[in-house]
Amino acid sequence: MESVLLAWRPFLDPLDVHNTWWIFLIPMAFGISVVYRAARLRSLDRYWRSVLAMTFQIVMGMVLLGVASYLFVMVYVRIAANMGP
Amino acid sequence: MTTEPMQFQDDPPIQPVAALAACVFPGAGHAYLGETRRAVLIACGVLGLFFGGIFIGGVDVVDRKEDFVWFLGQGLVGPIAFGTDYYHQNHLKVLNTNGTRRSAEPFEVRDPKTGLAATARRPETGEPLPLMTSDGQYMINPKTGQPLMGSVESRPPNSKSVGRVNELGTLMSAVAGMLNLICVVDASYRHRVRRTRREN
Repeated sequence: MESVLLAWRPFLDPLDVHNTWWIFLIPMAFGISVVYRAARLRSLDRYWRSVLAMTFQIVMGMVLLGVASYLFVMVYVRIAANMGP
Repeated sequence: MTTEPMQFQDDPPIQPVAALAACVFPGAGHAYLGETRRAVLIACGVLGLFFGGIFIGGVDVVDRKEDFVWFLGQGLVGPIAFGTDYYHQNHLKVLNTNGTRRSAEPFEVRDPKTGLAATARRPETGEPLPLMTSDGQYMINPKTGQPLMGSVESRPPNSKSVGRVNELGTLMSAVAGMLNLICVVDASYRHRVRRTRREN
């Protein structure tokens, strides 16, 4: 119990975000976009707009993949299992 | 008056110095080529992802011995990743008596002299114990000659991360390395930029 109450040490102890871990996918998508767009854009004039667009695309892609996985497991697999041999 | 980038067209097709600089530090290759803004963005992005991963999952996410496959990606960040792993292996992990290293358990501390694990408190009650290393030797206070006692503050050097938090931290730091590889390749095939001022 005492160890639970001791202070969190940044970079040494993990964050206690086991229920909200998915929120950190957004800064990860943003970081990926920052680096990739910095390397690939010919001109950096419209850099931040491009970064935000790519971040949105990654997040929406992950949401759609999550929905597709959910539908496959919870709908298709159940239907296929009920059809039987 | 505008600033217009001009490229050195007589540059070789491959820039070995820029590639080497990019391997040493994220963004250094582009900085060498004169692309300062691009270099800063790359450095902030790669280091932000790498240290963001460690911030979320703790230093446990960078572990060459236990997560070698992930370290193949993380190592692409450069010497910073190898330094982080070195610190983790040699200053945070504890030694078993057979010389192997492992993360300290919740009621263990690390003997700063030998690196051996020592139990600091009784796991069931949290009661402080004399610090006894795994080879059966008491850790002695050099001033008093008495065995050192654990305390409530006696904690392992770092905590092991588990579950999604560990996965997310590992993924972020590995993605940082893979993105840095893209930047190394980009710096290798990019011409140097010379800024010239032009009157409108």
